[in-house]
Amino acid sequence: MSEGIGARVLRKEDKRFLIGKGRYTDDIIEQNQAYAAFVRSPHAHAAVKSIDASAAEAMDGVIAVLNGAQLTGDGIGNIICGWGVTSKDGSPMNMGAWSALATDKVRYVGDAVAIVVADSLATARLAAEMVEVDYDVLPVVVNSVDGLSDGAPQLHENAPGNLVFDWELGNEGPTDAALAGAAFTTEMDIVNNRLSPNAMEPRAAIATFNEADDHYTLYTTSQNPHVARLVLSAFYNVAPEHKLRVIAPDVGGGFGSKIYIYPEEIACLWASMKTNRSVKWTSDRTEAFMTDAHGRDHVTHAKIGFDKDHKIVGLKVDTKANLGAYMSLFSSATPTYLYGTLLSGQYNIENIYCNVKAVYTNTVPVDAYRGAGRPEASYVMERMMETAAREMGVDPAELRRKNFVTEFPHQTPVIMAYDSGDFAANQDQAMEAADYAGFEARRAEAASRGKLRGIGFSNYIEACGIAPSAAVGSLGAGVGLWESAEVRVNPVGTIEVLTGSHSHGQGHETTFTQIVAERFGLPTENIQIVHGDTDKVQFGMGTYGSRSGAVGMSAIVKAMDKVEAKVKKIGAHVLEASEDDIIIEDGAVKVKGTDKQMLWHEVGLAAYTAHNIPEGMEPGLKETSFYDPSNFTFPAGCYICEVEVDPETGTTQIVQFVASDDFGTIINPMIVEGQVHGGIAQGIGQALLEGVVYDDSGQLLSASYMDYAMPRAHDLPNYSVHHQSTTCPGNPLGMKGCGEAGAIGSPPAVINAITDAIGNNDLSMPATPAKVWAAIQAAGAKQAAE
Amino acid sequence: MEMSGEYRIPAPIGDVWAALNDVEVLRICIPGCEELEQVSDTEMTAKVALKIGPVKARFKGAVNFENVDAPDGYSIVGEGQGGIAGFAKGGADVQLVEDGNETILTYQAQAQVGGKIAQLGSRLIKSTAAKLADKFFKNFHDELSGAETAV
Amino acid sequence: MTVVSMTVNGKAARADVPDNTLLVEYIREHLRLTGTHVGCDTSQCGACVVHVNGKAVKSCAALAVASEGADVTTIEGLANGEMHPMQTAFKENHGLQCGFCTPGMVMTATDMVARYRESGKTLDEAAIRSELEGNICRCTGYHNIVKAIADGASKMASS
Repeated sequence: MSEGIGARVLRKEDKRFLIGKGRYTDDIIEQNQAYAAFVRSPHAHAAVKSIDASAAEAMDGVIAVLNGAQLTGDGIGNIICGWGVTSKDGSPMNMGAWSALATDKVRYVGDAVAIVVADSLATARLAAEMVEVDYDVLPVVVNSVDGLSDGAPQLHENAPGNLVFDWELGNEGPTDAALAGAAFTTEMDIVNNRLSPNAMEPRAAIATFNEADDHYTLYTTSQNPHVARLVLSAFYNVAPEHKLRVIAPDVGGGFGSKIYIYPEEIACLWASMKTNRSVKWTSDRTEAFMTDAHGRDHVTHAKIGFDKDHKIVGLKVDTKANLGAYMSLFSSATPTYLYGTLLSGQYNIENIYCNVKAVYTNTVPVDAYRGAGRPEASYVMERMMETAAREMGVDPAELRRKNFVTEFPHQTPVIMAYDSGDFAANQDQAMEAADYAGFEARRAEAASRGKLRGIGFSNYIEACGIAPSAAVGSLGAGVGLWESAEVRVNPVGTIEVLTGSHSHGQGHETTFTQIVAERFGLPTENIQIVHGDTDKVQFGMGTYGSRSGAVGMSAIVKAMDKVEAKVKKIGAHVLEASEDDIIIEDGAVKVKGTDKQMLWHEVGLAAYTAHNIPEGMEPGLKETSFYDPSNFTFPAGCYICEVEVDPETGTTQIVQFVASDDFGTIINPMIVEGQVHGGIAQGIGQALLEGVVYDDSGQLLSASYMDYAMPRAHDLPNYSVHHQSTTCPGNPLGMKGCGEAGAIGSPPAVINAITDAIGNNDLSMPATPAKVWAAIQAAGAKQAAE
Repeated sequence: MEMSGEYRIPAPIGDVWAALNDVEVLRICIPGCEELEQVSDTEMTAKVALKIGPVKARFKGAVNFENVDAPDGYSIVGEGQGGIAGFAKGGADVQLVEDGNETILTYQAQAQVGGKIAQLGSRLIKSTAAKLADKFFKNFHDELSGAETAV
Repeated sequence: MTVVSMTVNGKAARADVPDNTLLVEYIREHLRLTGTHVGCDTSQCGACVVHVNGKAVKSCAALAVASEGADVTTIEGLANGEMHPMQTAFKENHGLQCGFCTPGMVMTATDMVARYRESGKTLDEAAIRSELEGNICRCTGYHNIVKAIADGASKMASS
């Protein structure tokens, strides 16, 4: 069986996880290890008047209690947002100061005030309870609309009105004119509910300062250890890069939440230096709900206009995005360049205008969560399309089809230039798989059982592999978004691939191996992927935004190109043939049309013994590439959800969920399907179950799995997953990316299906039985009144 | 969250008002109250043990009288720290109306919790707070009616 | 402090631990068997499931001292070096991604199959989904876990 591109190769990484030998951060014990616990604010907004740690310090086993004044006194820098967004008036965003340990003020429940280091975890936690913090409680604001209102409590002095930025994209005048002249318009208020990412492995860190050479080692639950090292060095002044090694070992899921560098990592590194001990911290689940960056939380008003032929003439979107108490690492990019830029959807729209106001509130910082901005854009667009179709009395599939972009490249009015796609093909495939034609019969059958059956579409498009670096730099990014790879052919012919991508569930050890196996005709067992350690891999940008295929694997391809060129030179030299006649196949270097060949390990040996290589050639066989893509990639697809609602209870059951995705080239269909399954589950979770709840005083009420409704097996259906791909012209493998699509495409399909079933478009996520029941009653009352 | 209630107490308004200002009566009536010490005419310190859902904590804090309008009513306001469990704040506006030899007591109470209690026990706070408020005024009623006081 | 003795993965284990030591802490920190995970604090997620005297137990909700004399099996001891049929089924059906919930899923799954076999009930898809109530996975959307358990059940029946 082939193990190359397109093969369903079973995962190389599975065995260690299945036999209990995975190595996650909390599984590691360092010599001389101490344990950290954080003293956290129980108030959402308060001035810190004093901290009395004397009782804690007096406890047996307590090594140190350290606070924010000491931290800033040692020159540790404030936490920054790495993407500068400019307001429409040209002013820079208003970034409020965020110290890893609060100094004068706390701004959300869970804001860290002090770190306690002790001999045991139990002692550290007990001692943290003994630290007495005197707070002067201040008024609180928890949502973006209230945050912008007159007289709202103010979080940061340099952000008047709690406004982080007031950003716009597109042309307002022409959009208003187009909407004014439209034959039909649809207007909606749309809320994208706040979510907690909930990777199953809680965040953890072990920091070790080595006094002998002023060197730090940090094990951490990170999706991008190199970015962590860069930021910890350049901005937080923990240690210069060459004195700091960051290792992200096995990481139990991320979904965005483990991109950012959090206060705990900074505090543990610093505390390790202060105490000369290894300092380990592991979050518990409630701490995770309180401190892991949340996602989404948009409040939007949108208006779409159509001409008399149902062609879209304009779209205007006004969004208030809650960023929480501080700006997390990429918090500014999520509701702007990852949101407004996707508002053209799969459609030809000449006029789009989008205004986003980002707002500080007394809640945990909000940043990218699986999809990051694109689920919010897709939710706005696809709920508008479905609702407009119903209001105009046309078939929602037909309305979409009439407006599809069909020619590529296609320049939208909101920055993006779509490079490829066949949206109608995905829609056809999904409709056939879902038996759309047979839906009305199913609806009637359900009605005979007293159930309301509905069907909903979602035709999403997203942008992955954010790039090129120069373009994102011009939009405000503080980093480049290329990826690196190093391909090392060992003297015995085995291969190690060092990548700057990081795998935390995506199966890179398998898929990355497959492209190498395919290229050189080698068995996958001879290939090892190395990632997640800044001492091994020189630099890399990590894994998020579905970038590891399109960008990470492309870097490997580019490095393999260089290896192949050198191998051909060595082969031509040893086999005394022309380089043009050398081919590499089945693990051998051959002279075309002859039986002359060198086996792969012979090439490796030749390169390293250097007894017989071309004159002037350096010995060894190791090549590096830094690959910077020329454009984003644009995965797209059509999702169809079919539900049955019980009108007596408002309970929704998903009876069918069909996905047709265009991911470009697929390396391993088994893994890609798994990614889609997981993404859809998170999207259904958002649509039906999940929601972060703060009360008016800023207390987090959904802080455990007893109160935050995680999707469980019985909440979810089987998924009918299909592919209909066009090749991405922008990278050597033709890949688009598949990690986030499920989470981006699914929420509108679910809500469109429920609103179809109940005959009321006014329904917000999560569509709990209580909300659905109320919407059914409201629809009934409206009908009765008419 | 807000709660309210009304009790008819078989005692004259003067006696009811005196009892409302009697630290010993309050100590007996506040559910879970372990200590209540008068610091001044309007200020007391308290220790109260409470269990809300999975969180059991001993709160230390202050109880104050505000808006005192003898003998027609006052506000009783408390605030306590429960260590890692978080904090609780609450208060009740109490009005007394004379009705012959009896007194009608009405109250509007509010409660707010923060920290771990809010994070883990939020589902249970409303019912717990309503129960506690009602229990206090029921105890108070029973105390003045000469009935057996449940603690 | 209390001395606890139990058999873990077929070997005698004995330690003097604080009375409030949870079984999962004992397994992870004292015995250094780190395949058993902690994913929540409220015994909801099931990442910590082990077998105690042949029954699936959430080891985050049990005290070590309560398992005095017990026979405990963790993910590391399920197949003694080989892959248990259920572990093979998870691999073949891509029933895991990040791997963090996996040990708890596998321990729950083998227990589920054994219980259904003992009581003669049919372990169909609906039953598997219902039985997974106490195990949370954030990666797979459960589709392949459900398939893996069904496949693992037939593999266990024929092994």
